[in-house]
Amino acid sequence: MDRRTFLQLSGITAAGAFLAGCKSANEKLIPYLIPPDEGVTPGRADYYASSCRFCPAGCGILARVSEGRAKKIEGNPLHPVNRGKLCARGQAILQELYHPDRVTQPLKRTGERGSGKFTKISWAEGLDLLTSNLKALKQEGSPGSLALLTPELRGTLAELTTRFMHSFGSPLHLSYELLSPGWLRLADLRSFGQVTLPFYDVAETRYLLSFGADIVESHLSPVQYGYAFGKMRQARDTVRGHFTYVGGRMSLTAASADRWMPARPGSEGVLALGMARLILAESLYDKASLATNGLHADELLRGLRLYDLPRVAEETGLSQTAITEVAREFALTRPALAMAGESVAFQSNGPDAIRAVQMLNVLAGNLNRPGGVFPDAGSPDGPTNSFDELISLVKKMRGNQMRMAMIYGDPVHSIPPATGFQEALAKVPYVVSFSSLLDDTALMADLVLPDHAALESWGDVIPMAGTREGVIGLMQPVVMPVFDTRQFPEVLMTAASELGGEMKAAFPYPSYLEMLRASVRKHVAVSGSADFEAAWVDLLRKGGIFKTVTGQIKDYKWSGGAKIPEPAKPHFTGNEKEFPLHLSVYPSTAFFDGRGAPLPWLQQLPDPMTTAVWGSWVEINPKTAAELGINFGDLVEVTSPQGSLRVPAVIYPGIRPDMVAIPLGQGHRDMGRYAKGRGANPLQLLAISGEESAAQPAWNATRVRVTRISEKGELVTAGHPQGSYRSDLIEI
Amino acid sequence: MEKITSPYKWGMVIDLDRCTGCGACVVACQAENNVAICEKKEIAEGRNMHWLRIERFWVGEYPDIRVRFLPVLCQHCHDAPCEPVCPVYASYHNPDGLNGQVYNRCVGTRYCGNNCPYAVRVFNFHDHEHAWPSPLENQLSPDITVRSRGVMEKCSFCIQRIRRVKEDAKAEGRMIKDGEVQPACVQTCPTEAMVFGNIADPRSRVSRLSRSPRRFRLLENLGTHPSIYYLKGGGREHV
Amino acid sequence: MSEPEHALAAKSAVQLNDEMLSSMRTPTWRWYGLAFFLGAVVAWGISAFTYQMMTDLSVTGLDRPVMWGIYIANFVFWVGLSHSGTMVSAILRLSQANWRRPILRAAEAMTVFSITVAGLFPVIHLGRNWVVYYFMPYPNQRGLWPNFRSPLLWDATAITTYIIGSSLFLYLGMLPDLAVVRDRASGWRKKIYAILAMGWRGTAREWVVFRKASTLMAALIIPVAVSVHSIVAWDFSVTVVPGWHSTIFPPYFVIGAITSGVAAVITLMIIIRRVFHLEEYLTPLHFDNMGKLLLVICLLWAYAYFVEVQTTWYAHEPIEWEVWSFMAGKYTPFLILMLISNAVLPIFALCFKKIRRSVKAMLVITVLINIAMFIERYLIIVPSLSHKNMPFIWGSYSPSWVELSVTAAAFCGFTLMYVLFAKFFPMVAVTDVRELGVRHSDIRLGRTEVHTISEEE
Repeated sequence: MDRRTFLQLSGITAAGAFLAGCKSANEKLIPYLIPPDEGVTPGRADYYASSCRFCPAGCGILARVSEGRAKKIEGNPLHPVNRGKLCARGQAILQELYHPDRVTQPLKRTGERGSGKFTKISWAEGLDLLTSNLKALKQEGSPGSLALLTPELRGTLAELTTRFMHSFGSPLHLSYELLSPGWLRLADLRSFGQVTLPFYDVAETRYLLSFGADIVESHLSPVQYGYAFGKMRQARDTVRGHFTYVGGRMSLTAASADRWMPARPGSEGVLALGMARLILAESLYDKASLATNGLHADELLRGLRLYDLPRVAEETGLSQTAITEVAREFALTRPALAMAGESVAFQSNGPDAIRAVQMLNVLAGNLNRPGGVFPDAGSPDGPTNSFDELISLVKKMRGNQMRMAMIYGDPVHSIPPATGFQEALAKVPYVVSFSSLLDDTALMADLVLPDHAALESWGDVIPMAGTREGVIGLMQPVVMPVFDTRQFPEVLMTAASELGGEMKAAFPYPSYLEMLRASVRKHVAVSGSADFEAAWVDLLRKGGIFKTVTGQIKDYKWSGGAKIPEPAKPHFTGNEKEFPLHLSVYPSTAFFDGRGAPLPWLQQLPDPMTTAVWGSWVEINPKTAAELGINFGDLVEVTSPQGSLRVPAVIYPGIRPDMVAIPLGQGHRDMGRYAKGRGANPLQLLAISGEESAAQPAWNATRVRVTRISEKGELVTAGHPQGSYRSDLIEI
Repeated sequence: MEKITSPYKWGMVIDLDRCTGCGACVVACQAENNVAICEKKEIAEGRNMHWLRIERFWVGEYPDIRVRFLPVLCQHCHDAPCEPVCPVYASYHNPDGLNGQVYNRCVGTRYCGNNCPYAVRVFNFHDHEHAWPSPLENQLSPDITVRSRGVMEKCSFCIQRIRRVKEDAKAEGRMIKDGEVQPACVQTCPTEAMVFGNIADPRSRVSRLSRSPRRFRLLENLGTHPSIYYLKGGGREHV
Repeated sequence: MSEPEHALAAKSAVQLNDEMLSSMRTPTWRWYGLAFFLGAVVAWGISAFTYQMMTDLSVTGLDRPVMWGIYIANFVFWVGLSHSGTMVSAILRLSQANWRRPILRAAEAMTVFSITVAGLFPVIHLGRNWVVYYFMPYPNQRGLWPNFRSPLLWDATAITTYIIGSSLFLYLGMLPDLAVVRDRASGWRKKIYAILAMGWRGTAREWVVFRKASTLMAALIIPVAVSVHSIVAWDFSVTVVPGWHSTIFPPYFVIGAITSGVAAVITLMIIIRRVFHLEEYLTPLHFDNMGKLLLVICLLWAYAYFVEVQTTWYAHEPIEWEVWSFMAGKYTPFLILMLISNAVLPIFALCFKKIRRSVKAMLVITVLINIAMFIERYLIIVPSLSHKNMPFIWGSYSPSWVELSVTAAAFCGFTLMYVLFAKFFPMVAVTDVRELGVRHSDIRLGRTEVHTISEEE
């Protein structure tokens, strides 16, 4: 597409007059009839709606474009998930577009795998390599030896990949993400009989009780929950929502809590049951709710008889007073809301612990009520795969059964090596990566076919959670492609067309854009194509379809019966003597699972809790650090049964003395000058014990030991270490 | 000489009960205002260029430990200590109540930086000409300068946005509506902790919030009369 | 019995002149060596500064929050040192203390050179030195004017005034001596000295005018000196920086400057006396009297410092006390050295005549005092900035090689100016010393011989 046409088309879709209040008349609708070159006023910017895909929340964005260059990203005020707000990561996606180390065109491996030696090739050659390899598999009659690895996709892209693999003849499309909320879907299935994700009505609740659910940084939909949190606190005249957080580490979310309960790792479920018992024993539960959900108080109490206060206090390490207070507060403040998050889920007893927390919601009577929990919109979810299926693929790869792997994303970095994934992938003869930077996966690839940046791409971005109505966000290019890259779905379609036959037939569209339009058309009630054109432009201007017609969302109803979900005693890898500390690995505010690391703005952003920049660190309780002779900024070695790494130490008062924590996201071998060789990837420390359930492994159940190496940790923080304890001097 | 007056007095309210310390405002400000990319060494030297910082304080001891976040940006003081000390009037007070910084007038004595009690002024010790390796420079906003070395800079309440909106409002013969102009930080804040507007208008949102019993201003005893009101967080009513 | 006058009486005029002008003889290799070494350090400093100007200020150790560092410490120190000439020359001239005479010139020269060095630092530390002319109130089509509310502009005004004033003061006092040198010179030198001497013939009328002018200048230069250092003090005390915001700063700085200056003059006296063999002209009596002056000043300084600390301690304003504690904790050795060298040692030692008259002891004491004064400037500037009002951005500072090079160049440059001055200009105030000889006589009153010195009305 040439520039003129691009500007013409994109001019039509400028967000224009649909922006409420907060904008000036800066943005102009460029009518179809005025040639774009004359219609574009230098010095005046246009705003284009698109969607962010930097995390599964899928917020809507507006890109301010000046003379064909993207200058600033804002939240789209019309988008129901984020309503004009945007998080730090979303603000930084501009740097993904203009990153100096982007892969500018297809690459072919010349050196050893992992050496980073590639030679630049044309798209013709790259596509040729791709299709010839695919053809070879088909001709040999072993299409099942092709694997496609992607994150959890939704919408048109999910449809496309499914069709591709199906028509190719391989069942091995693995949709896997470390931070996938699959465990929550499973919990919903077990507790409420439906595969959904919850929508927590935080804005209207009066008491929020979070068991390790970090809604501000990472859980489900951070911007939406941030917005709701603000409302919960101060949007109501006489009500200030109260917030209690349970978890061994004070996360960013926990830092805003009124009460922090540092429960022992793996004991959160016991705490929930203890609270449930107290609520039932003191008759503080919602009687109507129990009746509606087919439960009887006395039956439940019997099931909970072992969860008396002394036992719960003992197991959690919390005081009986605190537990009693919180239980009573939770029960008596209506509406109250309980939620559970990753750090609970990723314990060996995670699944039952989550369900125990869900039970608390039943007792509080907040199912399907404002200020409580609703089933999420049930937006079309794409394929997901379990951990077991990942292991199964790893086995196949290790067993030389896989001949080719196409990878979209960076699983080499974000799948813990304890799974054997990286070693197994090395055995696959031909690996294709679609990364736009040389991430760890691309370094392992034989062929790199670089994807467009998000701001150059077409697509639909379906928020994973965060809205009660169905939402399909649209993604459109806001600038001409900067380099010679192509969108991943486009490449697959081209390959399919090349391979011909069934594959070609599976994609009766000239381009991915057409497939997207066809997909959108299904959701838009129109008659005739002329109407659709107008509707399409309208949707692009707004940023998506903000209330899709979906099937009836079934209300939550407890289906687990009276059986109490009792968490087993938590199991940790590594014996206590050799490995005395619990390791908590968490997605960092700046980098999430690692995708933010290449962007300098995010590296420069001081971590909110430690104020550290440009690196990794391990958080240690002051008392523990003193015992180990560790000072602020010292280089320490963290060793688990799986491996070890060296990072500087941060003295962190907000963590249990028997716990340490390392953020995810750094430790890339390349991925551009800003991320290259920086920090460490704590996933290499995580071990898998033998007793995993199929849904998720216990990623937060590894034990470690910490030893001081030297004072040369080279830790840089934005805040003065001693000054950070002197808020008394400024009277805040 | 006639005194130049303005019907606008820009002010901001930051509700510390809503602020979660997420840092979106910091990145938004950097993106909007061509703030230089500073790598690890530069930050280690104490020369980070962020106009807006989020201070994080630990209060108490484990397990009774609390965290307090405080976003600090130029307070646009009505009695700004940075203004009288600049020998060349690079730091001045504009009729809208903003403290302005004229980059091409700044000689770089850094007196203003020393005298700012909030330490919100940042100085270009490094030459940031190459802070944006190609093609990152495409992101730079044309509405605002890229500062040279030896020049002081700081938050301007996104004066480029205010100017734009003023022009448009003037062209339409009307006043700026409440909420029509939002600095980048205010616009992106997910919790709506930051509110911006015309404090001279008693009905504006920022005016109403600035009358909250939770209000306080930073380092009030210094008599700088900042334009930013903070609302005390943590459920504490009285300051 | 005062020794100098009798020594003077015993020698002929030519011999006296020879001795006092001995510094102006043909330079020895030692002189060349010294000048070369000093010149080399100055050249190194200039190249370091050029490097700073070509690169950016990141080559210094400055950061946020410590945006002023050793450059400003230098600035204040050298301004302080410039009070030497004024105090010794002007005050002693007005109080008609005869023992000032041999050291007049050296002291006045010290003033001019140190204020010149001081005046360089505000330009050196700028972020954009090349637009330093923005400080000047010149007509321009943009209608811009510098900000006279800023203490930096007061600095510029005061220092300009002081440089001009003290240069004039030096030159004026040197006129008769330049005439002496002119009369003894030949060739091209004679021509230059003739121009500089402005046709001085030593007539009675010229002497009368000279007396009046010198006295007037002496009287005028004192308020300038006091105001210069008060203004420099206001650079700090009109700010809101904790530890700076104190009304005692102007008198405290002036006292400090006098301390520094007087000590420097004594050091200078000792050096000149040794190098130019002026033992008969700079006798233990001079050091005795200067020592007494120094004792008084050190007592004042100690009092001023005590007041500053005591008010900080008593009010216990949290951030101010924080700054003081931080300073005392982080810079303890420096603080102790400073207090001992500036207060404890001088106050104790200078009470004893024996020590005051001992050249070696005075050298040690006065050099220590100036080291302590430099430390004192540094300790005023850096700790306060390191620990300003907002604890989250507390920082630190240590000077970089560029800053240290420029500092070294300043010291060597100052010395070099001296070395060059001594070679080309009369270092000892010949006229004043000879004047004493002329005025002195021993008169017989009855059976006693009374040592008298006549004074003009």
